[in-house]
Amino acid sequence: MLELEWIASKHAGRVRSQDARAPKYTMADKRPSDSKINSDLLAPVNHPGWGWYATVVVSGLVVLAAVGALGYQFTLGLGVWGINRPVFWALDITNFVFWIGISHAGTLISAILRVTGAEWRRPVTRCAEAITVFALMIGAMFPIIHLGRPWFFYWLVPYPNERGLWPNFRSPLAWDFFAINTYLLGSIIYLYLPLIPDLALLRDKSRGALRRIYGVFSLGWRGTQLQWDRLERAVRVMAVVIIPVAVSVHTIVSWDFAMTIRPMWHSTMFGPYFVAGAIFSGIAALILAMAIIRRVFHLEEYLRPIHFNNLGLLLLTMSLIWFYFTFGEYLTSWYGNEPEEMAVFNSKISGPYAPLFWGTVVCCFAIPAPMLAIKRFRTIKGTMIASALVVIGMWFERFLIIVPTLTHPRFTFNWGSYKPTWVELTLTAGTFGYFVLLYAIFTRLFPIIAVWEYKEGLPLGEHGEPTIVGTPDVEYESA
Amino acid sequence: MADAHIKVFDTRREAVAALHELQREGVPDSSITVLSSEPLHLETLHPPKTRIAGFSIAGGVLGAALAVLLTVLTSRRVGLVTGGMPIVSPWAFGIVVFELTALGAILTALGRMILEARLLRRRPLTGQEDAVAKGKVVIAIERAE
Repeated sequence: MLELEWIASKHAGRVRSQDARAPKYTMADKRPSDSKINSDLLAPVNHPGWGWYATVVVSGLVVLAAVGALGYQFTLGLGVWGINRPVFWALDITNFVFWIGISHAGTLISAILRVTGAEWRRPVTRCAEAITVFALMIGAMFPIIHLGRPWFFYWLVPYPNERGLWPNFRSPLAWDFFAINTYLLGSIIYLYLPLIPDLALLRDKSRGALRRIYGVFSLGWRGTQLQWDRLERAVRVMAVVIIPVAVSVHTIVSWDFAMTIRPMWHSTMFGPYFVAGAIFSGIAALILAMAIIRRVFHLEEYLRPIHFNNLGLLLLTMSLIWFYFTFGEYLTSWYGNEPEEMAVFNSKISGPYAPLFWGTVVCCFAIPAPMLAIKRFRTIKGTMIASALVVIGMWFERFLIIVPTLTHPRFTFNWGSYKPTWVELTLTAGTFGYFVLLYAIFTRLFPIIAVWEYKEGLPLGEHGEPTIVGTPDVEYESA
Repeated sequence: MADAHIKVFDTRREAVAALHELQREGVPDSSITVLSSEPLHLETLHPPKTRIAGFSIAGGVLGAALAVLLTVLTSRRVGLVTGGMPIVSPWAFGIVVFELTALGAILTALGRMILEARLLRRRPLTGQEDAVAKGKVVIAIERAE
C-alpha cells in the first residue's frame, strides 16, 4: 500500500496535466471492480425484485382505470368531462403543461450538467433523460385526446394536406407540434446515444433472443477507441443543440396562452416563467425518481447523498426563481388594477381558487425553500419531501394558470365555473400511473445508471490500484 | 479482425504498457485496435479528425432551408385569407425555422456519428466481447500482408 501511495504521489500532477478530460480524483480513491459495477448496475435488468413487480402491478392498475375512463369518454363523447362554455381547456391542458414541464427534468438538466462538465452527473443523467422521453409522450397525448374524436387525428396529417386544412404556421399550436416533436425526437436520440455501449454490454451478457435484440439496437458496437471518441463528441454536440430546444419547448407552450389577450395570460414574461417552472418541477420529479430507484434497486452506493444534496440545491435555486417570477407576475397585474385582470387575480388570491393558490405557494416556496436552505434537512428524505411538495404544487400552479382565466373572460356575462368529473380525475391519475409504468419497464430493459459513464468517472486503476493511463510503463514497475 | 493478433489484458495498466511497447517497435497506430468497456482517453492513439460538429451545422442549415420552404411556399400556395396581414410572417415562421434547424442538426450529428464510428456495418464481432464486458482491455493488431 505504501508503495502504491508513493507511486500515486509521484504521478499525481502528471495525470491531471496529461488528460484534461479525465475526471479529477485523488489517487487515494479506490475503484470497485468492473464485475461488481456490472453486477450492481445490471441487477435491475436481471433481478428486479419484488419492489419492481409491486410497482408494475399498482401502476398498471391505475393505467387500466384510466384506459376504462378513456373508453367511456370515447363512447359518450367529451360531454363526460366537466368542460363547458367558457372553460374549454381544463384538466387536459393542465396535464399537458404539467407533463411537458416535467420533461425538462431530463434532457435539459442532463445536457447542462454535461456541457458544464459536472462530474457528479454520471449516475444521474440516464434517470433524468428517461423522464424526459416518457413525460413528453404523456404530455403530447393530451392535445390529441382533447380533439374529442382522436381517431380522426389523421385528418391533420400531412400538413398541409388535400383535405382543405388551413396550414396556419402562425398558430402557437402549430409551433407546439414542431417544438414538442423536435424535443421528443432529440431527447430519444440523446437518451439512445449513451445507451449504445450499455446495450452492447447487455448483448454480451445475455443469450438467445435477448442477445439478438440487444445486438440489433447496439448497432454492432465493439468499444474501439474510435467509437468511444465519436460517441462522446456526438453526445457533446447533441447537448449543445438540445439546450435551446428544451428552452424553446416550454416557451412555446407558454405562448399558447400568452399569444391570446386573455387576462393574466397576455404577459411578456410567460416564456421564462414557464421555463423556470418546468425546470423546477422537473428537478423535483428527478429527485423523486432517483430516491425510488435507489430504494427499490438497492443502488445506495451509486445514488449517494451528494447527488441529492446537489439536486436539492438546484431545487432551492429554482424555488427562489419561481417565487420571483410568480411575485413579479402577480404584482404587475395587481398594480395595473385593470378590472378584467383583477377579477382573475382576486379569484386566485381570495376567491374560489384561493386554497389552491396558497397551497401552491406553501408547496412550492414556503416549505421547500427554507427546508432546502438548511443543510441538515438537505438529506435524501428531506429532498424527497420537498420534491413531492413541489410536484403537487406545480400541478396546482398549472391548473391555476389555466382555469381561473378561462372562468373569467373579459365580458362578465360570460363568466362560468368549472368542476372536474371523475373521468378527468381518473385520466389525470392515469398519467402518473402510466409514467411510473413506462419508467419501470425502462429500468427492466436497460440499466438506469449508465454503466460506462459511471466507470469513466472513477479513478482509472483496477481494484483500487492507481493506474495512470498514457504514461510510460516503466514508471510503474514495483520494486 | 479475423486476421489479427489479439491479446487480452486484465488491467488497463498492462494494456497501456503493451501499447507503448508496440509503438516502440514501430507498429503503426492504424493497425492497432483497442477495445474496452469504457473510454480510455488514450494519449497514444489519436483517432482521425472528426467532422461531426461541422456536419451538424450543415444539417442545421439544411433544416432551416427546408423550414423556410415549408412555411413560405405553403402559405403562398394555399393563398390564405389573412385580413390584410402579410402572408409570410417572419416572426411566427421563425419559430418553425428554429425548431427544424435544431432537428436538422441533431439528425445529421447522429448520422455522421454512426458513419464515423463505423457502426451498423455487417461484420463479425471480435469474439472478445465477453472479455471486454468483464472490463478487460483487448488489443488487436492487424497482420501485415
